[in-house]
Amino acid sequence: MTTALRAIGVLLLVVATTVAAQQQSAAPMPDLEGGWVRIDVDGSGSFNGLAAKFLRAVLTPTAQAAVAEQAKRAAQPRFDFARDASKPKGAGEGYVVTDGNCTLPGGVEPNSAAFHLVQSREQVLIVRENPGLPRTIYIDGRAHPDLSRWAPTAVGHSTGRFEAGALVVETIGLTAGNVTAGGWRTPETRLTERYRVSSDGQRLTITYTWQDAKVYVKPHTYEIVSERTPPGSWAFESWCDSSDPNQRLSIVPPPQGK
Amino acid sequence: MRFATLIVIAAMAVFGGAAARGAVAAQSSPDISGFWELSFDSRRVPAASLAPGVTPTLLAKQAAHDAHAIRWCNFLGLPAAMDSTRPINIRQGRREMVINFETVATPRHLYFRASHPNMEIFDPTTNGDSIARWDGDTLVVDTIGFDGAKGVTMIPGGGYRTSDSHLVERFRLLNQGAVLSLTFTWEDAKVFRMPHTYEFRYVRAPRMYEAQPPLACNPFDEQRAAFLSGDRP
Repeated sequence: MTTALRAIGVLLLVVATTVAAQQQSAAPMPDLEGGWVRIDVDGSGSFNGLAAKFLRAVLTPTAQAAVAEQAKRAAQPRFDFARDASKPKGAGEGYVVTDGNCTLPGGVEPNSAAFHLVQSREQVLIVRENPGLPRTIYIDGRAHPDLSRWAPTAVGHSTGRFEAGALVVETIGLTAGNVTAGGWRTPETRLTERYRVSSDGQRLTITYTWQDAKVYVKPHTYEIVSERTPPGSWAFESWCDSSDPNQRLSIVPPPQGK
Repeated sequence: MRFATLIVIAAMAVFGGAAARGAVAAQSSPDISGFWELSFDSRRVPAASLAPGVTPTLLAKQAAHDAHAIRWCNFLGLPAAMDSTRPINIRQGRREMVINFETVATPRHLYFRASHPNMEIFDPTTNGDSIARWDGDTLVVDTIGFDGAKGVTMIPGGGYRTSDSHLVERFRLLNQGAVLSLTFTWEDAKVFRMPHTYEFRYVRAPRMYEAQPPLACNPFDEQRAAFLSGDRP
């Protein structure tokens, strides 16, 4: 009888421990849901300057060569990017800045548009207001796919977990290309993001850490801060029409006074 | 004896707590999150009763508008986005629900709010502004704020979306959560003689489904453009 009671006791303890573990994993879930807009915490003054104060990536020689090659390709004439800056456009003649295609690859970092995050039981979904792939972050315990069966994308394959009040996201399977602050990535490169919300719920800090022994001499880390959109606000739709010639333009110089 | 008492207390604590949590979960709203896809037999669409002002000329004009939107890979908007050939990703949060598409469409945001924003300051969109509420086990979504000039506007069964359209959707899980019934009701006095209602039934995609990048659409693909216009055999 005593043996049977002890066996039941042990069984109950195991169940109690499991339930407690489940409660612990479910409890410290931050409230990330809502719209967020990246802010200029360093006072850079321009979108291009937002990463100016980030520590630069320390790359391996192989990765340095890949970055240099990419820079060479980017310098090739494309639209008006490589035009002769000493010859400004005349009045009424717009600067062509895109090929008019509305499809954008998106990426893992927020851009100038707001992004919106929704937390469901098995997935965290992040969508942008302008074209680009959404971030689908699986929190259902699944593993990353074998990269030999994965077509790399600008957002890769992401899995997440909640850890000490933060959402921790692991991503692989990204397309090769540049990373903020002089970094580089390949499909094998691992990105770890930590999403932390301030105690008042109004600021979201995302810490990015890039790791790849073939690319980085040491992990490459930086932070991006965003602000929650006001209560009652809504997601905008960034309309784009490839049939509109103006879609390709940025500014059109107006006639100048004499 | 003391040990046996401890076991009973532990059992009450563990299973009593679990039962209480189960009761709370049972009282809360259903979770319709998941990847949902349409099959060949998923659509029950009666013919719409169109308003007298919707002439064949007007319908042809609207069809030409939609053909242009398809040709140039414009965001589809409603209702076309909900008729996707790929699974749609519905994610239910605390304050909103997002529906994302693997096609050329912007995500839908369904806000758990009591009212729409002031339409005087709302920029109309292809998906409009959606507010949601639970009516028992049914999620009722009310949408206004459409832009009738953007995206693909044709409505299954006849008619088309305009800037005055009002859409009410009712989402309900069937078959122990394996099927999602979605009833669409469109109201627009200029287009419909009476509210036009049809139903789609989505099938839940396998649990380990992996979201795919949207189907590509290249507006500058000349072969595609020729195919769509019928210029070449």
